[in-house]
Amino acid sequence: MEYFTKVFIVAVKSILVFDHEVYFVVFTSLKISFASVIIASMFCVPLGLLISSRKFKGKVFLQSILNTLMALPTVVVGLLLYGILGRNGPLGGFGLLYTSTAMIIGQCILIAPVVLNLVVVAASSADPRIKLASMALGADRYQRGIIFVGEIRFALMAAIVMAFGRAIGEVGIAMMVGGNIEGYTRTMTTAIALETSKGDFEFAMALGILLLLIAFTVNFFLQRLQQFSK
Amino acid sequence: MNSAYDLIDVKYGYDGLEALNIDQCQIHANKTTAILGPNGAGKSTLLNILAFVFRVSSGEVMFFNKRCEHESHSALRRRVSYVQQNPYLFNDTVIKNVELGLKLRGVNKKDRHQSAMMMLEKLGLGDLAPRRAHELSGGETQKVAIARAMVLETEVILLDEPFTYLDKRFAKDLEQLILDNRRTGDQTVIFSTHDQLRAQVLADDIFSMLAGRYVPSSIVNLYSGKLLPGKNIFETEELKISIPENLTAGEHIAIESTQIVLSKEQLLSSMRNSFRGKIRSLHEDNGQIQVTIEAGEIFQIIITKAALDEMNINVGEMVWLSFKSSAISVF
Repeated sequence: MEYFTKVFIVAVKSILVFDHEVYFVVFTSLKISFASVIIASMFCVPLGLLISSRKFKGKVFLQSILNTLMALPTVVVGLLLYGILGRNGPLGGFGLLYTSTAMIIGQCILIAPVVLNLVVVAASSADPRIKLASMALGADRYQRGIIFVGEIRFALMAAIVMAFGRAIGEVGIAMMVGGNIEGYTRTMTTAIALETSKGDFEFAMALGILLLLIAFTVNFFLQRLQQFSK
Repeated sequence: MNSAYDLIDVKYGYDGLEALNIDQCQIHANKTTAILGPNGAGKSTLLNILAFVFRVSSGEVMFFNKRCEHESHSALRRRVSYVQQNPYLFNDTVIKNVELGLKLRGVNKKDRHQSAMMMLEKLGLGDLAPRRAHELSGGETQKVAIARAMVLETEVILLDEPFTYLDKRFAKDLEQLILDNRRTGDQTVIFSTHDQLRAQVLADDIFSMLAGRYVPSSIVNLYSGKLLPGKNIFETEELKISIPENLTAGEHIAIESTQIVLSKEQLLSSMRNSFRGKIRSLHEDNGQIQVTIEAGEIFQIIITKAALDEMNINVGEMVWLSFKSSAISVF
């Protein structure tokens, strides 16, 4: 226990003195996850709205697939992407393996089903009176779309925040296609995993505390957004 | 007389069910029309068609003497304003909700804010302006929805059961607004209600509906039963009622509530129907009295305040009600 307390104090100190190494890793993590979330949302939010607004054959099937994909194991995404981006893979020529681009692609694949599914759910469960009320006020098709998105904005934001939470906390993809290269692709999760096994427990602990703080913050916003969207 | 709407052979249905079937309906411009009927009569469906929110399955809708099928419904929608039953307010402040219709029509920020604020003040809702719409009570929501529609100053205003959630005081205010408008004739007002008395007091015309169809009479004093052909009698569960001659089919009859004569003693007259019953309730609205009488079936009769004073009757007393067979519609 004494050892643990000592480690904890050292970890907190390195956070409070803004240890460069610690914060650079945090910055890399945030940068990669923000990029993934922005890219995935750019495609998945409009696509989700489109899916929910259309009736088509196989919609229920698609939704159950999306639901299943929400539980996609990160190491499987990492494995597949490693195979594709690796030297002998079909896209090996681009030299993307062990770059932050590869990590962003992986995280996008991971969170796309999360964003898509949650957007579809948010849009389908929206109050049916929204459409009628905006029509009655004289909104044309385009204006109705804008009003609708405005009405479910909190649920959409909740979907995006949830996806960010999944991206920032994953370790499988970052490890397998990022490679934990110091100053380049080392993220909080990969650093915690590797530094612990190397015995640098204080460094890992400092990152662990910060990761927890980020996770709590994300969850706090998520809860607030879910309250607003009701 | 100018018509705001002419409906010819209009049918509307969904999922294979026919919700509305109206042979003909004319709604006069710059008049107040009440659409009267019980729940499920198709009042909301009709209003949705009049608001150009629903497209008819077949038939023709003329709007100010112009056929609508070739015009864009979203352009037509901007010429009417519509307060739906159980209206939806957008997740924003009250003032933004009231401004929205104007914003969609391209009115600039300053003008629309001013108009919205003036409308809220006019309806006594000025205090609600900065509140979040989703925090309002049912009654307040209804009032704001009415303000949101009225601020648009369209040619036609449609109100679906506008009195449902309103408190007494605001219901009175709204009645007054409708009456004022009826006097000036600035707008064509169409509202739906299940309240016969209110319809009679507020509207120039009443369009009664039952089961998606127009009913050529009021929908109170409506009884189901069977017609006895050859005898000119309609038999309900409780009463035998004399009906006009030579009718052969019909499952419902309706008796105009203004055509029923009320008296303390049995009248000696040519009226074929005369029943004795007990007064269940007396209800006053704008000088008219609705008397509810149990005489086998429940009858609703409308008399003037003067007539009530003259007869000096009270709840619980026995009275006679009489009506001619010509006051009855069979359908």
